[in-house]
Amino acid sequence: MDPMNRQPMEDQLDALWAEYRAACPDPETSANFMPMLWQKIEGRRSETTSVFRHMVQAWVMAALALTVLIAVLIPRLQRDPLYSASTYVEVLDDAHSNDAVDLLAGGEVE
Amino acid sequence: MLVEFDLIERARSGDDSAFSLVVQAYKKRILGTIARLIGRPEDVEDVGQEVFLRLYYSLEQLRTPEVFEPWLYRLTVNAAYDYLRRQRRRRESRMSDLSEQQVMMADAAAGGKLNDEEQRRGKVRERVQALLEKVSEEDRILLTLKEVEGLSLKELEKIYGVNENALKVRLFRARQRVLKAHELEES
Repeated sequence: MDPMNRQPMEDQLDALWAEYRAACPDPETSANFMPMLWQKIEGRRSETTSVFRHMVQAWVMAALALTVLIAVLIPRLQRDPLYSASTYVEVLDDAHSNDAVDLLAGGEVE
Repeated sequence: MLVEFDLIERARSGDDSAFSLVVQAYKKRILGTIARLIGRPEDVEDVGQEVFLRLYYSLEQLRTPEVFEPWLYRLTVNAAYDYLRRQRRRRESRMSDLSEQQVMMADAAAGGKLNDEEQRRGKVRERVQALLEKVSEEDRILLTLKEVEGLSLKELEKIYGVNENALKVRLFRARQRVLKAHELEES
């Protein structure tokens, strides 16, 4: 539809908005409105508290489990350390201590 | 502003009685806006309570009491938008699509209980609601706030947090879409 023909439609629509405004006055609230609102506020508050309580409980349990794990692992690690205190050269030396001797003993170097 | 800044400040700092007074002052206006935004009188109080519930838990984030009203309108718009989205998902050409008000109107009209004026108003509501059903929730809310609630561009700018030009474009497009739906209805 071209703009010239559209104007009456636009006017009609504007009139319709105004009529709608008049046909929908602000409603009166029921007597239950405020008590229900406070009930919902309290409900949300206790829900949040309960979520927070669950989170705290989960954190405490995780901390306890970690403590037990550490208590079990530390003495074991002290007895049987994962990492050697020796240097890399010392470790290599320990692992291949006889290679050079075997070579020198039996080998004929061409 | 319907209340003093001091009352907003007290409510913000956790005074529940001050919060109640703020709700008392604004509830009629907010429920009226919600009624016109969602078009289902039976759900207006629920959505209204959701707005004030969100207000209660977000009030401490309010920077200054001066921006309280746009803040409250933004919460209203968001709650209405969430409601309309839920409704759209739920609506699958069922009989329950008719609001309680529409059913009551139909019953009353059938029984001849409604006067002419009430019937005419009911028809206007139905017509506008049917028209708004044909556009997106965003368009519906924006147009209702501008055309029905009569909010200015400045007020809408604060609620939507966008500049005037962007808002004008959005309004223009929304209006074009409604106009198109209106033309189709008329033809």
